[in-house]
Formats: sequence, structure tokens, C-alpha cells
Amino acid sequence: MAVATTTTTVAPHAVLDHIHPEPTSFIRKYIFSIDHKVIGIQYMITGMIFFVFAGLLAELIRVQLMHNDGRFVSPETYNQIYSMHGSAMVWMVIIPLVTGGFGNYVMPLEIGARDVAFPWLNLAAFWMFPVAGLLLFASFAVGAPDAGWTEYPPVSLQGPEGTSLWCIAIFLIGVSSTLTGINFIVTIVKMRAPGMTFTRMPLFVWSQLATAGLSMIATTALAGALLALFLERTFGIPFYDPRHGGSPILWQHMFWFYSHPAVYIMILPAFGIISEIFPTFARKPIFGYKMIAFSSIAIALLGFMVWAHHMFTSGLVPWLQLPFMIMTMIVAIPTGIKIFSWMATLWGGSIELTPAMLFAIGFLITFTFGGVTGVFLSAVPVDLQAHGTYFVVAHFHYVLYGGSVFGIFAGVYYWWPKITGRMMNEALGKWHFWVTFVSFNCTFLPMHWLGLQGMPRRVGVYADTHDAVFWNQVASISSFFLAAATLLLFANMIYSFVKGKKAGPNPWGARTLEWMIPSPPPYYNFKKVPAVLSTPYDFGNPLPYIGLERTPGAEAPAVTRTPAPAH
Amino acid sequence: MAVSIAKQGHTTGESLVHDEVIYQETRDMRLLGFVLFLISDVVLFSAFIFAYLYLRNTVTPVWPPMLDGKQLPRLDVAFACVNSCVLFGSGVTMHYALESWKHGKKPAFNGWILGTIVLGVLFLCGQGYEYTHAKIGGWSESIFGASFFTLTGMHGFHVLVGVVYLLVLWWQANKGVYDQTHYFGLTAGTLYWHFVDVIWVALFFLFYLF
Repeated sequence: MAVATTTTTVAPHAVLDHIHPEPTSFIRKYIFSIDHKVIGIQYMITGMIFFVFAGLLAELIRVQLMHNDGRFVSPETYNQIYSMHGSAMVWMVIIPLVTGGFGNYVMPLEIGARDVAFPWLNLAAFWMFPVAGLLLFASFAVGAPDAGWTEYPPVSLQGPEGTSLWCIAIFLIGVSSTLTGINFIVTIVKMRAPGMTFTRMPLFVWSQLATAGLSMIATTALAGALLALFLERTFGIPFYDPRHGGSPILWQHMFWFYSHPAVYIMILPAFGIISEIFPTFARKPIFGYKMIAFSSIAIALLGFMVWAHHMFTSGLVPWLQLPFMIMTMIVAIPTGIKIFSWMATLWGGSIELTPAMLFAIGFLITFTFGGVTGVFLSAVPVDLQAHGTYFVVAHFHYVLYGGSVFGIFAGVYYWWPKITGRMMNEALGKWHFWVTFVSFNCTFLPMHWLGLQGMPRRVGVYADTHDAVFWNQVASISSFFLAAATLLLFANMIYSFVKGKKAGPNPWGARTLEWMIPSPPPYYNFKKVPAVLSTPYDFGNPLPYIGLERTPGAEAPAVTRTPAPAH
Repeated sequence: MAVSIAKQGHTTGESLVHDEVIYQETRDMRLLGFVLFLISDVVLFSAFIFAYLYLRNTVTPVWPPMLDGKQLPRLDVAFACVNSCVLFGSGVTMHYALESWKHGKKPAFNGWILGTIVLGVLFLCGQGYEYTHAKIGGWSESIFGASFFTLTGMHGFHVLVGVVYLLVLWWQANKGVYDQTHYFGLTAGTLYWHFVDVIWVALFFLFYLF
């Protein structure tokens, strides 16, 4: 064909340059939009709403544990509360916020794309999310699932009607997650701006790439497990029920084959967020760019080989326990590489303690703490002792709240000016951080020794030995402050809408592509798709972009402090 | 040619060359996305295959398992062989359907793709026959029935979707949506059909021969 030979005369990446006409009707613009930015914001709003509900459930747990005699709610209700708290936090809050929310909003901007690869698929994936969330919470009407967020059979087979709704809801959010994963991989592989090689991508994009691979592969395995559970509950198909020849352990394998990677789905994007924040507010190139990027991939790959470390007490044969223990401990290596790289990035930097930076540093402390207890738990003998106790609860709240949620908060403070075009109140943001940080540690630190002293998780009563009531009250009262601190964030958002200063394109003096365009970005993102010459973190060098239509104010980094003396 | 690109939604009206580039880049993206979708679908089947092998190797001392004090019989290999040949044959006809489209032989294409659809429906009928005549008890009676009917049922559902998909492609092709160089939909349909074939190879081995 004659056409094929003449294609070299047009600019490469015609798709990148192509601009859809902007929709004008309210519904196509804000409700069923295909714009990745609108969809990202929709994810964030929906996720934050579910965050409030899931957080309130957590407070109910803490109210119950104020006293050791279970005087607040019945055991049945208590089971439903903690099961729903866990399910909602994992599937309706953290995963949608870090992938659908930040991933959708920031990732295409950072690679210089006008949208994701399949905008309609993106729209479909988003709308599964509120439907799934409503289905999940609707299960309270028919009896919510009560076997914990892990829904182990045989308890989940005997659980109330809502357990089937739970299956449907999680299946649906899983489909959404898979579609988003596919969409993001194609976007990152095929739609980067000219010159943005893989090793010039911002680290947030690397983390989204690793996460997308995980959600694409692992989530369908969970879909299989959920389908089997649903079939067994509805039609009595024997997969898990030992009375009919099934095996409850089978569920644990299938569930954790997804749910351990899911832990990394929740934490890797948070790694990406703080990898953007550290160089920006330390005014220094990121230390070990390639090591941080590749360790994300390494964590994602290792994530598929460690699932049975959740099952050491389930009668797993000893010769299988050992490799799973060793593989789990190996995860600490790429994670440690990241932590030390971030510390080296901070070292000697000209650090600006904005709320985003405070949360990123807080993340570094609390996540590392949770990571270390994770290495404890990976050791078979320790796990046999600590399994199913509050020590485990303490561990995963340090990595999920002190890690993922702190990462989300950091990301909110960091990208809020880009998303809304207005600044937040810095003092209020700092209050939010300090109240959160202190009350978080007061809530979850005591759980370590409560667990080691034998307090079981998922039980609404406990023995009052070793001052257990006292420490539980410390945790409960601190948790009320922790919840209240989140109100400061919402107050800050309202403040920013009403009185916030105009942000300008680049209030932080950051160097990734999203800061080179106006805030909020226009519908088409970039007037002209830029070419990329280098990594974005080389502070001190000129910006590595050419062909970008300059937005006034975007290029001069707003350095408000004198640089630190050279070491 | 411009007409067919327009029908596939790849035209910006700037120029033919521009439209062609848009088409090619979009096609590459869709191809990658489609392959990723198939990979995630493989994982779904793998989860159930794992479940089947796990149950087979842990909770029952003999395979096929016991039901009401009697060991269940094995599945009928002979019939499944015939039925498998029908499905594998449809993979061959689908291959020729795409090839004839690439060479501009539209009547041959129509023959091959309709042949594929007929073979797909025949396979489903064979599957239905097997479901009603298998002597391994019902879906909910044993782990044999559970894993067999769930896995082959999921596969059958994929075949059914494939048949509908091919019907749509056949209709689209005759409406002029594709031309000799712009036929991504047909590529994707062929990929999907081969994917369904490959899954069946695994299931056939695991249930009938293993």
C-alpha cells in the first residue's frame, strides 16, 4: 500500500497528539466522562466516602474494646463490623484510591499523554466501583459477612446472606481492577511522550506499572475463588466444604494467591507517591532511581511467591513452609533498597516540611516499623506464636494505615493544587499530620504487646491480664483522635475551595510533566506533546523537556529557602 | 479504504496518511490490551485448574473419588476425542477464514467463518450431550462433578461468547467495516478462538487423559 510508505512524513505518535472534542453536557462532562482526570477525581471522592464509613466501623470496634466484657455490641454484630471494616478498607478505599484515583489522575499526565489507552473502558471500570461499594454495604440489610475480610470457609459457608453479596461486590471490584490494570499497562507501554524511555519515567509511573501487572494477574485468581465460594453458597457445589469432600484450605491458597499481591497493590503506588515527594521537597535528585524503579518490579514478582506465609498455622507441610518463609524475608531486600534510597535522597537535602513532605517522612517511619514486624512474622516459629493475635493487627495497620493511607494523605496534599488549582492551608495540614502521626502510633503501638501477650484478633471480649484493658483504652481513645484528625483534612479541602490561594502551575517547584501545565490542567492536558530528554529529578539541571508550550510560572522552581551547603 | 477506517472510528479527517497512522497505533494498543485480557483470563482458568488438582491430590485417596461408597467411573474419552476434534477443527477453519480475508477472498472467508461457527455450535451440543450422559454424578455431588462441570462450563461459556463474537464479526465484515489491510476485529476474534482452543487442550488432558 502506498500509504504505509508515507507514514514517516507525519509525526510519530499521532494517537498521542489526537484531541477528542471536549464534551459540553453536564452528564458527559462530570458523570459519565471519559476524561482520565474526571474519572480520577470520581475515584477519589467515592473512595473518600467509603473511607468515612469504613473508618466509622473501625471506631465501633474500638468502642467495643474499651471494655473487656463485650458490653457494646453482640458478638454476631461485632463479627460483621470487623469483617466489613477490613473488606471496605482494602477493596473500596485503598485499592481504588491508589490505583483508580491517583493512577488515573496523575499517571497519564506524568507520561505526557492526553488520556489513558482505553478511555471508555476506564469509564466502565470506574462505574463498577460505586456499584460494588453499595452492594457491599447493602449486605448489612440482609446480614453482613461475619468471617473476617478473609472469609475463610467453613465459617463463610455458614455466614449470613450478605456473604453472597460480599462475593458479588468483591468480584465486581475485581473486574474493575483487572480492566484498570490492563488499561494502565497499555497506556504506559504505548503512550509515553517521545523520548520518555522506561528509565526516564517518573517513579510514580513505575509503581503504577508494577501495580497494574499485579492487579491484572492476581485479581482474576481471586475472581475464581469468589466464584467458587458463591457457587458453593448458592448451589452447594462442593469446593470448600469438607463434609462434601471439599477443602477449606483450598480457599486459603486461592485467596492469598490474590491477597498477598493485593498488599503490594496497596503499597506500591504509595511508594510511587512518596518517591515523587521526596526529591521535590528535598530539592535533590532521587537517590538510586533505577534501583527504586526495578525494586518495584522485583516486589511485584516476589509478591506471587509468598502467599502461603499467611497459612503457616493451617497445616501446611513443613517442607513448603521453609521456602515461603525465605521468599518472604527476601521481599525485605527490594523494600530495604527503597527505604535506604529515600533516606539517601533526604540526606543533605534542602528539606521543606510541607504537609505532603511530613506525611512522606511519617510514612518512612511507620511503614519501616510495619515492615520490620512483617519480617518477624515471616519467621515460621514466630508466626506460629503470633498468628491470629493483635500483633498481626498491629503489623498490617502499620503498613496499611502508616503506609498506604499516609501515602494517600501525602498524595492528596501534593497533588491537590494541581487538581483544584488552589492551595491548602499549610498550618491546618501540619496539624492534621501531627495529630494523625501521634494518635496513629498511640492506637496501634500497644497492639504489639497486647498481641504478644495473647490477645486474639476478631474477638469482642478479652481477658484483663497484663493491663490489657488499660492499653485497649489507650488505643481506643487515640483512635478517636485519629478519626477526628481526618476531619482536619476535609476541613482543609473546604477551606481551600473557599479561601485557598491560587496555586499556579507549579507551586512546589517540582519537575515532572504534570507541573509544566496549568492547574487544573485543561481537557487536552498538553497543548503540544513534549519530547523528553532525561529523568525528571535532576534538580540543578535545566528541565529535560523540549517542544512543551511553556506555561508561565511553571519553569521557575519556587525555591523558598536557600540551598543547603554542599557536603 | 478510508471508509473502513472511518467505520472503525479512526478518522480525524485531517488526511488519509494521518488516519492511517492513527489506525495503526490504535490497533497496536488494542492488540496489546486484548492479549493482556486473554492472559488475565488464563489466570481465571488456572485458579480453577489449581483447585481441581489441589482437591484431587489432597482430600481424596483415590481418583475418581468415592461417592456413596462406590468409586465414580472415569469420563468417556472416546466421545470427548471426537468432540475435541470438532473444536480443534474449528481452530483450523478460523485460521483459514482470517487468511482468506487477508488475501481478499471474501466468499471463502464467509465459508470458513460460518464453518467455524457451525463447528463451535456443534462442540457445544456435544458438550451438552456429555453433560447429560456423564456418569460422574451431578454438579454438587462430588468434587469430581464440581471441578469438571465448573471448568468445562466456564470453557463452554467462553465458546458460546466466541460463537456470538464470530457472528458479529461475520456481520461486520459483510457490512464493510473491515478491508484487506484493516481488520483488527478479525485478528482479535481469531486470537480469542485459538485461546478457547488452547484452554480446551489443557482441560482435555487434565480431565480425560490424566
